[in-house]
Amino acid sequence: MMAFLTRIRIAVGALALLAIFAALAPAAAQQPTQVNPTAQAVNEAQLFKQLGQIDGRCTLPDQKACLLEQPGGRDWRQFSEVTLPWIGAISILGMLGVLVLFYLIRGMVRIESGRSGRTIVRFSAFERFVHWMTAVCFIVLAISGLNITFGNKLLLPWMGPEAFTAWSQWAKYAHNYLSFPFTLGVVTICLMWIAWNFPSKADVEWLKAGGGIIGKEHPPARRFNGGQKLIYWIVVLGGGAVAITGYLLMFPFWGTGIAGMQTAQIVHGIVSVLFVAAMLGHIYIGSIGMEGAFEAMGTGTVDENWAKQHHSLWLEEQKAKGKVADAPPSGRMQPAE
Amino acid sequence: MLIKRTERQARRGALAQTLSSQSDAGLDRRSFLRRSGLAAGGLAALGTLSLGSVRKAEARMPAKAGAAVTIRKNICTHCSVGCTVMAEVSEGVWIGQEPGWDSPINRGSHCAKGAAVRELVHGDRRLKYPMKLVNGQWTKISWDTAIDEIGTKMLAIREKSGPDSVYFLGSAKFSNEGAYLYRKFAAYWGTNNVDHQARICHSTTVAGVANTWGYGAQTNSYNDIRNSKTMIIMGGNPAEAHPVSLQHLLEGKELNRANYIVIEPRLTRTAAHATEFVRIRSGTDIPVIYGILWHIFRNGWEDKQFIEQRVYGMEDARREIEKWTPEEVERVSGVPGAQLERVAKMFATEKPSTLIWCMGATQHTVGTANVRAFCIALLATGNVGSFGNGANIFRGHCNVQGATDLGLDIGTLPLYYGLVEGAWRHWGRVWETDYEWLSSRFHTRDVGGKPVKMMEVAGIPSTRWFDATMMPQKQVQQQDNLKAMMVFGHGGNTVTRMPEAAKGIAALDLLVVADPHPTTWAVLGERKDNTYLLPICTQFECDGSRTASNRSIQWGEQVVKPIFESKNDYEVMYRLATKLGFADRMFKNIKVNGNEPVAEDILREINRGGWSTGYCGQSPERLKAHMRNQDKFDLVTLRAPKDAPAEIAGDYYGLPWPCWGTPELRHPGTHTLYNTNLHVMEGGGTFRARFGVEREEKAPDGTMRKVSLLSNGSFSVGSEIRDGYPEFTYGVLKKLGWDGDLTAAERATIERIGGNNPDSVGWAIDLSGGIQRVTMAHGCIHYGNGKARANAWNLPDPIPVHREPIYTPRPELVARYPTLPNAVQFRVPNIGFDVQKAAVDKGLAKQFPLINTSGRLVEYEGGGEETRSNKWLAELQQDMFIEINPADAAARGIKDGAFVLVTGPEMPAGQACRMKALVTERVGRGVTWSPYHFGGWFMNVDQRRKYPAGADPIVLGESINTVTTYGYDPVTGMQEPKATLCQIRAA
Amino acid sequence: MARMKFLCDADRCIECNACVTACKNEHEVPWGINRRRVVTINDGRPGERSVSMACMHCTDAPCASVCPVNCFYTTADAVVLHSKDLCIGCGYCFYACPFGAPQYPRVGNFGSRGKMDKCTYCAGGPEADSTQAEFVKYGTNRLAEGKLPLCAEMCSTKSLLAGDGEIIAQIYRERVVKRGYGSGAWGWRTAYRETIAT
Repeated sequence: MMAFLTRIRIAVGALALLAIFAALAPAAAQQPTQVNPTAQAVNEAQLFKQLGQIDGRCTLPDQKACLLEQPGGRDWRQFSEVTLPWIGAISILGMLGVLVLFYLIRGMVRIESGRSGRTIVRFSAFERFVHWMTAVCFIVLAISGLNITFGNKLLLPWMGPEAFTAWSQWAKYAHNYLSFPFTLGVVTICLMWIAWNFPSKADVEWLKAGGGIIGKEHPPARRFNGGQKLIYWIVVLGGGAVAITGYLLMFPFWGTGIAGMQTAQIVHGIVSVLFVAAMLGHIYIGSIGMEGAFEAMGTGTVDENWAKQHHSLWLEEQKAKGKVADAPPSGRMQPAE
Repeated sequence: MLIKRTERQARRGALAQTLSSQSDAGLDRRSFLRRSGLAAGGLAALGTLSLGSVRKAEARMPAKAGAAVTIRKNICTHCSVGCTVMAEVSEGVWIGQEPGWDSPINRGSHCAKGAAVRELVHGDRRLKYPMKLVNGQWTKISWDTAIDEIGTKMLAIREKSGPDSVYFLGSAKFSNEGAYLYRKFAAYWGTNNVDHQARICHSTTVAGVANTWGYGAQTNSYNDIRNSKTMIIMGGNPAEAHPVSLQHLLEGKELNRANYIVIEPRLTRTAAHATEFVRIRSGTDIPVIYGILWHIFRNGWEDKQFIEQRVYGMEDARREIEKWTPEEVERVSGVPGAQLERVAKMFATEKPSTLIWCMGATQHTVGTANVRAFCIALLATGNVGSFGNGANIFRGHCNVQGATDLGLDIGTLPLYYGLVEGAWRHWGRVWETDYEWLSSRFHTRDVGGKPVKMMEVAGIPSTRWFDATMMPQKQVQQQDNLKAMMVFGHGGNTVTRMPEAAKGIAALDLLVVADPHPTTWAVLGERKDNTYLLPICTQFECDGSRTASNRSIQWGEQVVKPIFESKNDYEVMYRLATKLGFADRMFKNIKVNGNEPVAEDILREINRGGWSTGYCGQSPERLKAHMRNQDKFDLVTLRAPKDAPAEIAGDYYGLPWPCWGTPELRHPGTHTLYNTNLHVMEGGGTFRARFGVEREEKAPDGTMRKVSLLSNGSFSVGSEIRDGYPEFTYGVLKKLGWDGDLTAAERATIERIGGNNPDSVGWAIDLSGGIQRVTMAHGCIHYGNGKARANAWNLPDPIPVHREPIYTPRPELVARYPTLPNAVQFRVPNIGFDVQKAAVDKGLAKQFPLINTSGRLVEYEGGGEETRSNKWLAELQQDMFIEINPADAAARGIKDGAFVLVTGPEMPAGQACRMKALVTERVGRGVTWSPYHFGGWFMNVDQRRKYPAGADPIVLGESINTVTTYGYDPVTGMQEPKATLCQIRAA
Repeated sequence: MARMKFLCDADRCIECNACVTACKNEHEVPWGINRRRVVTINDGRPGERSVSMACMHCTDAPCASVCPVNCFYTTADAVVLHSKDLCIGCGYCFYACPFGAPQYPRVGNFGSRGKMDKCTYCAGGPEADSTQAEFVKYGTNRLAEGKLPLCAEMCSTKSLLAGDGEIIAQIYRERVVKRGYGSGAWGWRTAYRETIAT
């Protein structure tokens, strides 16, 4: 059967080839007798209609130079100058507004039963290192990135062009160089925590209950609750997207053309501002939004009652494994996991 | 383009005003700066770290404050259009180029090369000092050592093998003075083996055209094409080879709504602007022209009166033309009859029509015949000798016309004086050098007991030097093989059959390359010693005149002093002549400053002897006056009005030759040759009565009859003889009773020259210019009023006949259209017939099915060493390539831009040339095209390490001439690079 | 007030590259940067046209609009210039430019691509006119000397026109009327949002 198909394919191919040659042969044998290159001149408007852009042949070895016109630049400019600032402003300011509002209404989420005094190891030193490396990079990348979109509107008027350029130049260096540890962090986070981050039924329950911070009930959660998983996937997917598109921009024409780079910049811009907005939420909840949460990434240990309140299932697992110490563990203690 | 020349001053004011006034249209420069400065300091201090890279200025910078900037005018050293280069010089440094708005030839324009000439002079890839090969290593030597060693070796070769064993290959890049001096040098050395690029460029044009109507040059001018209603460009791509000429062509096309017909195997940049494009098979120019003429005669579109009055032998041509029916033309050339009929009608009826051709027509074994066929087409339609028509032959290099005129040619002395005793005696008189001494410098050969004076035997063409080096001595018809090559400004990669040339280079006893660059000569053969490189400066570092294609002579002034240790051609020749012992004789009438002969003096000597071609009226003073007053000359007529400054009033720009008589006669030069609509003193003329007064020919009924070769009732305006007349001599003047108009001094000079027989002194050897002056005063032209020849009986094919290329893709046509039989030409055998027969017998067209044709790129010129060393040009063409049709490429699995291996039928077995494929529909199926400017790769081997350190061109590549093959025009020895065969495979 | 524009008459352009080397010559533009280039459309087919392209000095220039450090400015002659002191080499202007005019000394964007370079309409930069400082960064300032861009001044066939938009449009219109054809003012719609009616 396979052989038969192959044979058919060859036959069809050969026929197609014959057809091509048949079409070519008369052209070579007798040329059109009315050849008026002046009257047949190509027309710009027509080329745009057919192709959207105009490219041709040039003698420079850099084939990019052969692109004559790409009005697509105008569209990209619209995005860069109007769309992206709006998306960025709405998402970031919106998120800040929501957080402020939420804080005013809900205040800090307390450990309901008070601190037990017993602590449990939540993140290892390595995990914390990776987190903070990524976080610091992210903050610098975010600020330097936002500077590109908003700097000339917000900073330039009071900094003046030269100071703003100097600052932007350094910001650009920082953005370029810190992308590497950031990418490394994202990749490590992805591998390090992926085992706990597959969505489960509990997450649905958790989300239905609003994570317990909206309502009163604290839905049970394992090591990472639904909200944290969401953050995880935002970091992994969003971080991956900004990293890939960022590198496409950092190494122009590696695998893309000008249109590809415009697309890359659009993706990079949109994902980045949404990413920043999401991370604002993450920062909020990890700091002033919730009592005892910062310790998890700060010292690596959390109070047992905090764990009971937010990660009851995880606490039980840890207890079953005998990993809950009676006394506060020393910072140097290396957890087994 | 500037909007209006006169607006410049006004604009300057307006602009300055704009800049100084505050504008409300956005941010102006000043407020921008001010705003930038507002927050200086602070974070800005960080900016002092080197963050970005701002490029550094190199040679170029604005002139220092207070330093004077002078403008020097020179002429572009690339093609033959003759664009004026305006050089801004400050403190001895060439700091910039400005458009030469005033030149009527280019009106400020340049092509890529002209706009980049400054780099030639600043180029760090130039040869910096004399060098020689010592056991395969380039070693720096002093000029004195170089001249001394070279001279000693030349004398040793002369001693052993005779003067003809040294070959003097000169250059179309010489100034007129340099070309003349080099020819004179060869004469004083004692050989006619002296040649230059015209051999491989337009030698067939010169032969074909001169044999038709008298002079071998473009009849009209680039500017005059503005008058044409129909132009045919056949075998030329001026858009790339002569870009500024397209200014005139395209404007002419637009103003007249002219027909712009391109007949070519390739859709070139020139063809892209055509109103009619005719694609032909390479090497079928004669069938196509005859195909056109067939329709012209069939429809009675020929100019019967013109033919009757001014053409000899058109009936003979017509008999040949009648064989070329539309069917046969289409069978041979691929062009359908309907298209040719349309072209024929435009050419013959929408007049004035001009025919423009370049090397696509000339570089063939039938090159001379092609040119002759073109001339017949012009004659049949009466399209010669007026404004807007004529044979507009675009020459190649900047001074190829001048170098040809001044005798850098194996067959002539300066100004086309032949190699006969009378001509030698003429130049002997001009040089004040004894004829007997000159003749003693040459070898006299014993041929079957008869002495043959090599002084009167044409030399070996530059296309065959390596054959003459390597052939068995008996086959080379001179004292010995070639032993030494003196190469002044000539690439090694522009001549076909390079694998043979490489062997020839290896076989030489002495190789001297005098050039601004090492050229491929320095790297091609395997040589260990006896090889010298002499750094010659460019023409921008030298004074001298050059002749553009339209015969206008322009004076170029030295822009800057020669850079590094380079010297100009004159000085090197003077030093060498001193070493060889004939400098005193050779420079008897030329002032020498130190070691440097004065260019103006050389030109004056040319003026004193250049009667035959009208190089006698262009004194350096007149030429310089033209350069000073360029803006006075009209764009179309090239003429200065009568009310212009007296020194140029009424002159044609550049005193296009012939500019008759002494400079004092103030002949205006000749814008259009053979133009009977003008008085001879206004630049008019007739066809030259060069071929005798009458000829005995066989009538159709078999009887012999004498036919007049003089014009029949046609004469130039104001002629006192109202019919044809022969050339003028003192005797003719006497018969007409015009000799009384001669001054006593003129008569004395004529009688001194004539000795016992003063009546025989002709217009061309009369050193007083009296015969010319008196003849023209009577409205006649001293060279006679003859007929142009459709039948040039002295040529191998008196009427051109089609002959297939040696390596033809259509072997079945060879039986009917074979090449000419083998013969000995120019001291060496031409075995084209055998080669063609062998190619057909072996079926080489099957093994090598693609036509291999070549041409020019706009960025490069000639062998390309100079332009490939120019960073601004080299960047634009970084790889050797070969154009191939998409269908041929697909059949071979070749992708655009990929490397391919190209082989030719004469290449050594197993060898191939590596270059990039350019897959394009510019070429038709079965045709390939490649530029010929590349070198420095040889059969897939990079030769960069063989260049002297630092003098290697930026871009190297395979030369297409490694692939090209045998084939020589019988009349001139022209090579055949335009129609041969090759095969291509993916690399 | 002049509104400077470029116009390439494609029916005259023969891809001779004079504009390219004239630019290199006038401004000592280094290898790898081509402020001007010539592109051939429909190469090798009847109707092929070549167009010389550089910065068109657009109306409402996209490059200026997207520049994160606002390093662009427009002169009173409507020439779009930029300050290399302010440029951070981010590449945004290159994404936005419809004509591929901005170029960078380095291929990679890692660290820095270097200061952006583009056609200045032979009008230099923000430094004082015709000074060494201006020349080193931007090349010569011909406009200040009352001259037009050298590329157009040296164009072999007078195809490339530079000067006030009204005047060069008029020249082009007259040409088209005289010769009876014209493939249009390439790039004008994109750059200036107008075409030349003929």
